Amino acid sequence: MRGYRVGLWEALRYRGGIGVLVWILHRITGLGILLFVSIHVVAAFFMNALNDSISTAVTHWYESHPVQVFVYFCVLYHALNGLRVLLEDFYPPLLRYHRELIWLQWAIFVPVFGLPAFFIAQGIVLGTP
Amino acid sequence: MKVILKIRRFNPERDRAPWWGYYQVECEPTDRVLDALNWVKWYQDGSLAYRRSCAHGICGSDAMRINGRNRLACKTLIKELGNRITIEPLLGLPVIKDLVVDLEPFMKHYRSIMPYLVNDDPPPATERLQSIAQRERFDDTTKCILCAACTTSCPAFWARPDYIGPAAIVQAHRFIFDSRDHGAEERLRILDAPSGVWRCRDIYNCTEACPREIQVTQAIAEVKREILRRRG
Ligand code: FES
Repeated sequence: MRGYRVGLWEALRYRGGIGVLVWILHRITGLGILLFVSIHVVAAFFMNALNDSISTAVTHWYESHPVQVFVYFCVLYHALNGLRVLLEDFYPPLLRYHRELIWLQWAIFVPVFGLPAFFIAQGIVLGTP
Repeated sequence: MKVILKIRRFNPERDRAPWWGYYQVECEPTDRVLDALNWVKWYQDGSLAYRRSCAHGICGSDAMRINGRNRLACKTLIKELGNRITIEPLLGLPVIKDLVVDLEPFMKHYRSIMPYLVNDDPPPATERLQSIAQRERFDDTTKCILCAACTTSCPAFWARPDYIGPAAIVQAHRFIFDSRDHGAEERLRILDAPSGVWRCRDIYNCTEACPREIQVTQAIAEVKREILRRRG
């Protein structure tokens, strides 16, 4: 007899702590980075090889400010969260302060992400490059 | 106080799919969820199935999902939950009937880590003595009652039932760091496999679900460290 794989809906219904949310966000931001890098590589290749309109449009898209903010969010979150997990794994007693460390992580994340994101957003609103 | 229990029912001999049973029970706020379940079974619907034995948080029989989280019914007070309580079986293990799950997949993982003292030295005349510090090293993980609340709260286990799971690692930790035991090498080899400790992502559901307040994620991280340390 084996256990069974739990479906996504049942898994999401489980009331885990904040650890689940940061883990899900870690996965999402990881996928975001993967997506960005893949699109970047493919579009850059086709732009060099063919200089066609599609790859030019894609390049403009991923160089746009909203996409930059999204990529910055993904990279910064993924890096900070990964660092926290590394710290916990290498110094296990820290896991007693798991929640506190997650709040600390957010305390670092919010200004480091928020400030540049604010200026980029201001640039979008004011129309400056 | 009046409490509505919403219980996930399933009898594989009769039902094609699980269904919700609603039961109204008169409780004291200081009653436990197990008392409410007993009331339903004894006075309203004798066909309701769930496990319980000690009723004091020792045997680990009555772990279940209560209001969406794994807990022991005998250690959870009604006043912690309010007057609408949802009760479901543990996730990731096949349901035998209602709240009773088949623990065999869980026990298989448990047995795989050799949960017993391994020491072939001739027994000493008195005892195998330990210092206070040596005993302290694995004290936390001796508290496990094998209720399965941790393993069945773990998303890594939900996704891959072959993952050995937090409970088995906790049990392994209890022996790996016991100075009297000589089986650490073998246990660490088992836990270093693809279905072993590296599936843990420090999600922490297990630590939050443990009714004995064992620092489960910490124990897993200590086993990871020990594997790395011995690799050199
Ligand atoms: S009945 Fe024994 S732990 Fe709850």
